[in-house]
Formats: sequence, structure tokens, C-alpha cells
Amino acid sequence: MRNLTSTFSPHLWGVLACLLTTLLTQPLLGRVDLANIVMLFLLTVVIIAVKLGRKPAITASFVSTALFDFFFVPPRFSFNVNDVEYFITFAAMLVVALIISHLTTGLRQSALEAGQREQQTRALYTLAQSLAGAVTVEQVVLETQHFLRETLQHELRVLLPSSQDVLLPLAGTTTHLNAAESLMVHSVFAQPQTVEMGSDNPPTLIVPLVGVTRPRGVILVSAPVLQRPLVVAVASLMATALDRLHFVDVAQQQKMQIVTERLRSSILAALSHDIRTPLTVLYGLADTLALPQHDLPEPLRETASALREQAMRLNNLVNNLLDMARLHSGLVQLRKEWQPIEEVIGASLKLSGAVLQAHSLKVQLADNLPLLEFDAVLLERVFCNLLENAAKYAPPNSGIVLRVEQDWRVARISLCNAGTGFPPDKLQQVFEPFERGCSEQDGVGMGLAICRAVVEAHGGEITAHNPETGGACVTFTLPLGTPPVIDPEEVA
Amino acid sequence: MNTVLLVEDEKEIRRFVRLALQGEGCQVSEAETMTQGLQEAANLKPQLIILDLGLPDGNGVDFVQRLRSWSQVPVLVVSARSTEYDKILVLDAGADDYLTKPFSVGELLARVRALLRRSRADNELNTPVVKFGTIEVDLARRLVSKAQQSVHLTAMEFKLLSVLLTNAGRVLTHRHLLREVWGGAHSEHNHYLRIYVAHLRQKLEDDPTQPVYFQTEIGVGYRFQPQMGQVGFSQDMSA
Repeated sequence: MRNLTSTFSPHLWGVLACLLTTLLTQPLLGRVDLANIVMLFLLTVVIIAVKLGRKPAITASFVSTALFDFFFVPPRFSFNVNDVEYFITFAAMLVVALIISHLTTGLRQSALEAGQREQQTRALYTLAQSLAGAVTVEQVVLETQHFLRETLQHELRVLLPSSQDVLLPLAGTTTHLNAAESLMVHSVFAQPQTVEMGSDNPPTLIVPLVGVTRPRGVILVSAPVLQRPLVVAVASLMATALDRLHFVDVAQQQKMQIVTERLRSSILAALSHDIRTPLTVLYGLADTLALPQHDLPEPLRETASALREQAMRLNNLVNNLLDMARLHSGLVQLRKEWQPIEEVIGASLKLSGAVLQAHSLKVQLADNLPLLEFDAVLLERVFCNLLENAAKYAPPNSGIVLRVEQDWRVARISLCNAGTGFPPDKLQQVFEPFERGCSEQDGVGMGLAICRAVVEAHGGEITAHNPETGGACVTFTLPLGTPPVIDPEEVA
Repeated sequence: MNTVLLVEDEKEIRRFVRLALQGEGCQVSEAETMTQGLQEAANLKPQLIILDLGLPDGNGVDFVQRLRSWSQVPVLVVSARSTEYDKILVLDAGADDYLTKPFSVGELLARVRALLRRSRADNELNTPVVKFGTIEVDLARRLVSKAQQSVHLTAMEFKLLSVLLTNAGRVLTHRHLLREVWGGAHSEHNHYLRIYVAHLRQKLEDDPTQPVYFQTEIGVGYRFQPQMGQVGFSQDMSA
């Protein structure tokens, strides 16, 4: 009933206004030209159009034309017309009234819309402001939920990806999705594209939150009348806010990481210095005792050289431990340069001279080996560890063979001894830290673990095997790459 | 008698180094700090300085830089740091050689002898002819021979050889060698240097994979190491 009055009352008000105009203009009859009275009726229609809208204005156009005919055009109080000319007046009056009501209501409509838009823009701006200040994901979601509910009467559901890219509701909340929705949500997340589910009640809009680097989630907005452009705008605001939170997080993590790494590397440096200083003293003093000018009796000289050997072993152990700590903490930056592999082999053989004394070493290099790109310092550690291992597990005076070959994409370096070989069931484990080939020999097995870390950092592979002819082999590869060109004029 | 200045803050290390050097017939004077070390170096005019990199009142690199402003005395750096970057810094500042702790007495004495010989050679007349092993190099006439057989070197190879020979016993960093031989424009072409050193080894060494004279200091540079008693420097100079 109320609905009916609210629909019809503007029309009634319009008709009343026309009647009022008729009443007020009655005294003017005979004193003013009828054309001017027409103007007053048109004015009434304009006012009705502005105040009440298009439909009452159309009604008023017809009513005022009829009233003008009835009350003003002779013969009065009848719809009859004496002068045919008045039909032109009626026609013009009706047409002008209709056009005016149409134009005026158009203006009114756009003014209303502009007002609405301004309101929405202001609301969006407020939302943007509060999202910019949000410091947690929860805050972003709650602010947006509040905005959509209060300003647009839309209901919001949010799904955010976990670290494994699985879409989940905000922690601590539950989100109900029907079967079609949960299907759509995943395709929207995989291929960011807005989808409208019109058949749902109420209709639902599924909008991806598109971040700069990756999708940040999916929102579902439901309302009887969906304001799609506004919802899309809200989604992009949310995505920006989530992006910002993500990058703040990343920056903080990086800062933390830098601080920890700096700490770790200074601890390692201090440790290395503090351990090596007493070792140097121990080693040097034992060495001095054994000098010929001291002329020690033989048993004491042997003691001195045993001391010296043990100090050296301790030093190697410390070196390996520190290397392992550096490699594992990711502190090592490869300083790769193009260089011949012979050079690092030569330097390693010189360094390992003492451990190789009891063995005959053969180096077999393929002809015309290209330059390889590697970190010479780290590769020297690999060679020294391999040589030391090969010597340790081989019978005295046996041969050790170091071979470098090349196939079409890698250089293959293998070191074989004539020992008892690796335990067949442990060919993989020997590269694990603290694993040893043969338990009765001494030494903590860190050497091969370091070798693997270095080789893998260079993009190569390292394997152990026991050849059928006996002994043990460790083989590793280095990628060939494209060596830099040497200017031929300078070579000539 | 040679005077050696030992700048090292660790008392026990000073003790065994002093013992070793005295056994070698050197007079040893000691300093614990950088300031004291620089003063002693000015007062004593030693023939050799053995320097620890980590001194309580300053960095060994500063020491070498300040020393080099008025003295060319050979400096042997002894360092517990094993990172190649530190070694390169101090060598580029003007140090002659380095030893990483821990080191054997034999190694120390070999380096000391080589540097002392260098120190003497600097004070005497230079000769254009250098002999090591079976190799004879005439720097003036640009002639190289191995076991009486003439060896052909390209212009660049000869230039590299002469820089290495005139700095016998010193560790020359990659950057230093590139600058001396190729000029500043090639400071990024480390692989040039490596290929030319490989050429020299192929032409002059008996076993290029286990070089005796042209030694690699991995990650740092190269050193020309004339073998003990085989060096032509002193013989020729006294002649």
C-alpha cells in the first residue's frame, strides 16, 4: 500500500501543481495574452521535472495542456476549440513541455549520479588511506570488509595463498564456498580474470588480487546489485596493499639476513685467527726443535716431528671445518675466472707434496684442453682433499692417476688410486659430511663433502666408483662453457 | 751479518722465528706494534722485515704503505688470514712475499734466503744475463736458451718473462703483472696472463704441470722462484 502511494504520489503532486497554476492564473485571463499563460504552464512543468523527475513531468505536460484548453481557450469550460489555430498552440505546448521535462530530468539524473560518484570516490579514497596505513594482512582484509559492507552493502570473502600457493581463508577465520565457487576461485587465481557468477543468489563477483610480481589472492563479493567497477577498484587497492606488505616483509628479511651473515663471517674469521695462532706456535716450535743445529738425540727428534705432524693434522682439520662452515652458510662467493686447469693441478700437487711422497703420481691431461671457468682457490681445495684421500687409502708406493678428459659439454677430472676401494654400499654416502670410507683409518670425512659442495656450486657433478681393475676413483665434472677469445695478433 | 726486523704481536711466534733466523746467522730485532715497527725500521735499516698482518695498533697494509714511502727493504708478510683478498691487498701495497700460518721453519727460511739475496742484488750492479737450471736468458739481447738450445719467445712472452725474472722470489699479483706487461687497459683480461704463463711453462719448464720456476700462487698471482744454488744472479754479479 505504501509502495503504491510512493509510486503515485509524485504524479499527484504534479497534477496538483498544474491545478494550482490554473487557479493562480485565472485572474490574469483577459489582461494577459494567452501565449504568456502558456509560458507559466511550461514553467510549472520545468519545476515539476526538476523536483519530481521524468514521469510526473510527462503527466504534468499532458494535464497542463488539457487544463489550458479547458479553462483558458474559448469556449471556456469545454474541450471544444473555436479557432483551429489553437491546435498549433496545444501541439507546440505539449511538445515543448515533453522536451523540457526530458532534458531537465536528464540533467537532474547526471547531477545525482555525479553526487553518488563523488561519494563513492571519497569512500574509496578513505579506504585507500586506511589500507596504506595497514601493517598486517588481517587489517587489510578487515578494513576492506568494513568498507564494502558499510558503503556498498556488499559481502566480502577473501582467500589468500599460503607459502605453497594453496588458497586459504585468513588465518583464524573460515570461509564458506559452494562447489562452483571453489572451482572458479582456483581458475581465477591461476589465470587472473574477473568472473561473475550471476546464477548464484545473491550474485557473486570473483576478482583476482593482481600483485606486481604474482597474484596475491582472490576475493568473492556478493550483493543483490553488484557495483562491478567499484569492486574491481577495491580489489586493486587491496592488491596494492598486500604487495606493499609483502615487499616490506622481504626487505626486513633481507636486512636480517645481512646482519646474521656479517655476524657469522666475523665469528668465522675470529675463530680462524684464534685457532691458527696457537697452531702456528705449536707447529713452528716443534719444527725448530727438529732443526739439525739443535742436535737432539734421535728419540727426541722423532717426538718433535710427531708433534709437528699432529699440529699439521689439526690444522687441516680446522681448515676443513672452517671451509665447511663457510660453504654451508652460503658465505662463499665464487670468484670464477677463465683459466687452464693444469695451473690449479700444479699448485695442488705442490701443496700436497708431503702426503704424496710415498706414492707415484701420474698426471694424464688430454691434448688441447680449453680454458675452464672456475674459482681457483676452491678448486685447489678440491684437488688437495682428493689427493690427500687418495694417498691416505692407498698402499704405500702404489700409483695414483689424475686424469683430465673432455667430452662435448664437460671436462671430466678423475683421480684413482690402487687402494681397497670404497665400501660398495656407501658410494653415495661418502660425500656426506663426517662419513668415512673405511672406519679403521683416522680422519673425519669432511674432505669429500667439501669437494661436493664446491663442484656443485660450479654446476658440476661428483661421483665415486670402484673400477673393475681395482682401487677407487672419484670423478667430477666442470661445465665447458664458451671461453673468451684471445686476440690472435697478440698470440702471434 | 743480515739484520732482520720481526714485527709480530704474538710472543711465542716471535720466539721460534727468532730461533730459526739466528740459526741461519741473522741478527734479529723485534717489534710488537706497528708504530714500534716503523721506528725500528728507520733506526736499524734492516735487510728484511717479517710482518704480521694483524697488529694491535693497525693493519699490515698501512705498515707497508708507510714503509714504502721511504724504503724499498723487502717485506715478508706472515698472516693467519687465509683469504686471498688480504694477500692481494698487502702485495699490491708493496710487500714482496707472504706465508700463511701455520708455516714450517724450512719454508720460512727458504723465503728469507730468497728475499735477502734480492736485497743484496738490488745494491749491486745488475747483469743482463740470468741463469736458472739449464736455462739462460739474456735480457739485453733478448735471447733465451734451454740446455744450449735456443728457445723462441714472442714479444709478449719475453716481456712477461723479463718482468718475472727481474722480480725473482717476489709474488706478483695478477693485476700487477697485467699492468706491467699489457698496460692498464687489460686489467680485466686475466685469462691472457694465464695463457702466457702456460706458454712460458711449456717452453721452459721440464714438466709444465708441475712447474719448478714459474710457480702459481692460487688466487693471488705468480712467482719466479730460482732454485737454491742454481741462480745465476750472485755468480754473475760477483764475476
